[in-house]
Formats: sequence, structure tokens, C-alpha cells
Amino acid sequence: MKKLLALLLTLALLLPAAALAALPDSSGVLSTDGQMLMPELTVKDIPERPADPASLPETDAGRYFDMEYAGWDATEKVNIPVSDGSGPQGKNVIVIVHGAHGWTTAYQKGVQKAADFFGITVEIMDPNWDLATQNQMIDTAINLQPDAIALIPLNAESAVQQFKKINDAGIPAFGTNTLTTSDAMKYMVCWTGPDDWGQMRKLSDVLAKAMNNEGGIAYITHNAGTSPYYARTYGPITQFAQTAPGIKTLDIQTPGFDAVACKQVVADWLTRFGTELKAIFLADDSAQAIGAIDALNEAGRSDVLVVAAGNSKTGQDYVKEGKLLAITYQTAEGDGAAAIFAMAKYFDGQEVPAIGYLAQQIITLENVDSFYPVQW
Amino acid sequence: MSETNFDSNPACTVHRVRETSKFAQWINRLGVYVVVAALLIIGMAVAPTKFLSLENIRNTLQSVSLMGMVAVGMSFVVYSANFADLSAPMIIAFSGMITISSIRMGFVPAFVIGVLSGTLLGAISGFVIGKLRAHPVIWTMAYNFVLSGIVRWIYMGSQIYPDVIAPDSAAVDTFYNLSRASIPIGDFSLSWMTVVMLAMIVLGQLILKRTKFGNQLKVVGSNYEAARLSGINVTGVIITVFMIAAFCFAVTGVFFASISKMGAYYNGEGYDFRAVTAVLLGGMTLMGGKGDMIGTFGGALVMGMLTNIMNLIGVSTFEQYMVLGVAFLIIVWITTISDRKLGKS
Repeated sequence: MKKLLALLLTLALLLPAAALAALPDSSGVLSTDGQMLMPELTVKDIPERPADPASLPETDAGRYFDMEYAGWDATEKVNIPVSDGSGPQGKNVIVIVHGAHGWTTAYQKGVQKAADFFGITVEIMDPNWDLATQNQMIDTAINLQPDAIALIPLNAESAVQQFKKINDAGIPAFGTNTLTTSDAMKYMVCWTGPDDWGQMRKLSDVLAKAMNNEGGIAYITHNAGTSPYYARTYGPITQFAQTAPGIKTLDIQTPGFDAVACKQVVADWLTRFGTELKAIFLADDSAQAIGAIDALNEAGRSDVLVVAAGNSKTGQDYVKEGKLLAITYQTAEGDGAAAIFAMAKYFDGQEVPAIGYLAQQIITLENVDSFYPVQW
Repeated sequence: MSETNFDSNPACTVHRVRETSKFAQWINRLGVYVVVAALLIIGMAVAPTKFLSLENIRNTLQSVSLMGMVAVGMSFVVYSANFADLSAPMIIAFSGMITISSIRMGFVPAFVIGVLSGTLLGAISGFVIGKLRAHPVIWTMAYNFVLSGIVRWIYMGSQIYPDVIAPDSAAVDTFYNLSRASIPIGDFSLSWMTVVMLAMIVLGQLILKRTKFGNQLKVVGSNYEAARLSGINVTGVIITVFMIAAFCFAVTGVFFASISKMGAYYNGEGYDFRAVTAVLLGGMTLMGGKGDMIGTFGGALVMGMLTNIMNLIGVSTFEQYMVLGVAFLIIVWITTISDRKLGKS
């Protein structure tokens, strides 16, 4: 009898704890493109940091260690509020994005879908790409005393102060989408977003295989100085240097996101390099891809392989038409949902990775049909 | 033997002034085409076989076509002494989005609706600046913000795709082909974009130099008060100027949306400043009443040729910005000096 009572008592104590630890199964929640909206966040293995990355050559991956493994030294957290483990249901959160864009609209859709799934009430604030407005919105959000705040910082330097302010107010802060420095990461519960470097390495491998590991390649980059600029230019360059050294860089240009300007650059490359140009690596699968493909079409150069970072309708349609060899899967909805997913885990008292990456996929002709309809 | 002091010799001074004036006149008449000629020589020197290939000429012309169209519209605004129309980017974006939104009605109706709606936006600017005398830079900048907000609100910040709005429609194919189709001329071919830009230049030149409106515009641009006191309907002239400019921006917007295969509120960003650069390179001044469309075309050509040459010799984008900036300063400096020598400035 005593044993039975002890067993019942133990069960009575354990069952609520088990119920608290279990979030509802989100595997059935899909994004617009039919993909799982909230797959488990992944964590990257971090190799040993080179003693002096800046002294390494441009083609050495170690040179970009602090960018590729941003947050590697953000092990120390400051004043992170402890979750009471009461679960996400009924919580109020605020998500502050960076500005209006087709991508942001899809991101917000993901935030809302995930929040609805977990029973979280969410308010989304949009500063329209203005840092001063974003700072004001952070103050407003703090005054509203939500259960958590997620932020896409507009600027890496300001991010430290922005996250510190939220942290100082005793509100759990979550970084999302745009990577910050380790100084900002110590004030966050966690950061979630895409692993641009990892995606670029995967995309490079697909291209290298199609090129038989040799030939001339040219790059159209993202806006200079931004984190995608480095990931989408030096990600492939360092990957080819390691795995396909027969692939040689012919030129790197930064004409922006204007199809006409990109078309001129590619047309000039075709004139300058002729058949030496075997492949083009684009930082964007929309305007840049349109410009590049139009130039190749006009020159009748269907032999030039093109890959692009991004996941727009334009890029996906080009993959389906066989004009782009591959693009990266960059789920905007999944990015937004990941921030809410991390919050839900935190509210539930579960361990959340300091840096949680979205799952990586490459879209090619073989699997493109499974990514329709596109998110934005 | 005593040395002759030429500086103190009045005859030498007069001779030198005459020489300088001749040089200034020569520079002033040929304007930006001196730079075009210089770039032709540089291009042939650095890439002898490639630079003058038909393919390269075609590509260079095509690359400046959209900017050239905007520059034609901007030229009217600059010529009227209203500095610049900074609402150009949103008129470009708005017209493209309206055209795509209307594509179900067929290509021609959608094109007309897109261009008319853009032109109407220009009429509002013209009224506020011409009638209410708002400062053109402040108004058009604010107007651009307002339009940006409206467009984002209407379309929820999303991009719109013609093939989603009208799936399997022939109008969508025609819309895509608009910016990709060419007119063959023997072994050569010119894209429709280039043809439209050239037509706009010719038409713009005729309006500026051969019409009553052009004459009135020159007076308004040179001296607003004198124009008003001489009985010119200055309000009407300015409204017309902004409508012509907006028409050019709207046509650009439809081509831009066609080449981008989508409409987005950010289509056209940066085209205002590039167009103003081409206009000023071409010899117009922000003071108004000076220059013509031939110069504007030269300005656009210079920008395209410079980029082309630098791409061919492998100059990076960042260095290209520096070269373009320095070239801009030199050309404006030479033009200003020659104007001063001729007493035009």
C-alpha cells in the first residue's frame, strides 16, 4: 500500500512537469510553399579560431571566421530573465522588423502563423528601414511590458544598445534574421536565422560538381560591407579554394539590385572573357538573375552556369525553366516562425540554443516543384 | 637681350582672350560630346576589337535606355529652373505596378492605364509647384515619401507578378517581351527600350526648340518673374513640365516592370539622381533655361560608356564610383569655365 501511494505521488509530481515540457507538435504546420514551418533549429559545429584571421589570404575560410561563426564567443549571457516554464499559451510578445519588403511580408506571415499555433498574441512593429524609428519602437515596446521582444536589428553597431535596453528592462530579448556581434548576443536569450555561409558552401558544391571542378567564374555581390556581401562572395570563393581549386575567379562586381545594371555587367563580361567564363554566382535570384539571364540569352550563351542566393518567385521560376542551376532555400516565413518557436521553447522552460539556424536546402530542377507556391 | 613680358603686353592679352574664347566656344558648342569622343578613343585603345563590336554598342545603348528616358523627363524640370523631380522613383514604381495590376484587361489597356496614372501624379506636382509655389525639391521629396507609403499600403509591401495576376495570358508574354524585343537593322539590332529612348530624345528636342511651349519654357526657366510679367501662363507651363516629366517616368516604369518581371515599390530607386547626373553632364544647369536633349543624351552616353570601358578593363564597382564622380566634377568644371568665358554664367 505504501509502495502504491509512493508511486501515485511520484506520478502526480511528474505528470504536470512532463506536460509543461511538451510543446504541441508543430511538424504539421506548413509554410505557403508546403515546407515544414518550424523544423528543429540547428546548431553549427565551431572549429578552432585562427590566431589572426585578418592575416590569412582572401581565399582562406579562416579569414572570415568571426563572420561565419558570429557569436562563437558569446557564451557569457548577461541578466537573462529565467523562464517560469508556464508555456507559451496566452503570452504577449512584440516583434520589431526592419522595414517593408516582399520578404518582410512573408516573414510576418510566418510570425503570425507560429504565434497562432502556440496561442501567443503578437504585435508586429515596422520602422520602415529607419534606425531612429526602430529605437523609438523599442522604447514603446518596453513600455508595453510584453512577455518577450524579438528584433531584426537595422544596424550591427546599434544592436548592442538596442538589445541591452530590452535586457535592462527585464524583458527576454530574441535576435532574429540579421546576425549581430557577440557583444549584442550576450543580452539575448537566443538568436535565430539563416546560416548564409553554410548555404553558400552547399550552393558552391552543387555548382562545382556541374562545372567538373574547373573553369572561370564571376561574381555579382550583395551590397558591399553587409554580412550577405561577405557570405555570398567569400563563402563560395573559400569553398572553391578548398574543394575545387580549378575554379578561378575572373571578376567580382557590385552593381546592386538593378536588372539593367546587372545585365550590362554580364554583357561586358561576355565581351571581355568570351568562352573563358563558365559560371556566374549571384547574390540575388531576382533582379540580378534577370539581368544576368537576359544578357546570356541575348548572347546565346546557354553554356554558362548560373547559381544564385535567394528564394524569390523569379529565381524559382528560372530554376524550373533550367536557366538557373540552383538557388538556396531561404524561408522568410520560416525565419519569422523560428523566432516565435524559440520564444515558445523559452516560455516552456526548455533549453534554447544560443544560436539556432534554420534548416538548409538547395533548390534545383529535381526538387523545385516541391517548393511551389512561392512565399513571396 | 631683353625678354618680352607677354603678360604686360596688351596685344598678347587680347590675343590670348580671343584664343580662350574660341576654345570656350568650341567646348561649349560640342559640350559633352568632346567627352564622348575622348571615351571612344580610350575605349578603342583599351579594348580595340571588343569596344566597337556591334554587340557591345547595342549593350551599352541598352544599358542607358531606362536612365535616358528618365533623363528626358528630368531635363524638362531642370530646364524650367525647378531643380529636379525627386518623385521620379515612386512614379516609376507606381506606373509599373498599376500596369501589372491591370494586365488582365490586356497589354495595351494596361500600358495606357499605367502611363496615364503616372502622368496624373505629375499633374499634382505641377499644380502644387506651379500654382501654390511649393519648393520643387522639398515638395517632390515629400511627395515621393507619401506615394511610397500609399503604394506599400495598397500592395501590403508585397511584390506583384503579372503571371500570378493573369496566369497563361498572352498579355503577360507581350509585357515581358516589351523590354526584351529588338528591331533588326541589317546585322545590327536595337532593343525597343533603346528605340523608345531615342524617340523621346528627338521628341523632347523638338518640343524644347521648335514649339511655342518650348520658347515659353525657356523664358520661364531663365527668368520666372519676367515670364510672368510678359503674360506667359507660368502655372500652365510648370504643370505641363511636370506632366511631361511624369509621362517619361511612367513609360520608364512600365519598361522597368517588364524587365524585372514584377512590380515593387522599390523599382526605380536611384534613377532620379542618375538622371540628374546625366542631365547636368549634358550641359543643363540647375538655374534653368540652358541646354538641350542632345546634350542630355550625351550625358547618358558618357555614363554608359564609362561603365562599359571600366567593366571591359576590369575596374571594380567601387573604383568605378570614384571615376564617375571625378569625371562628373571635371565635366561640370569645364562647362562652368567655358560658360563663364562666354559670359553665360
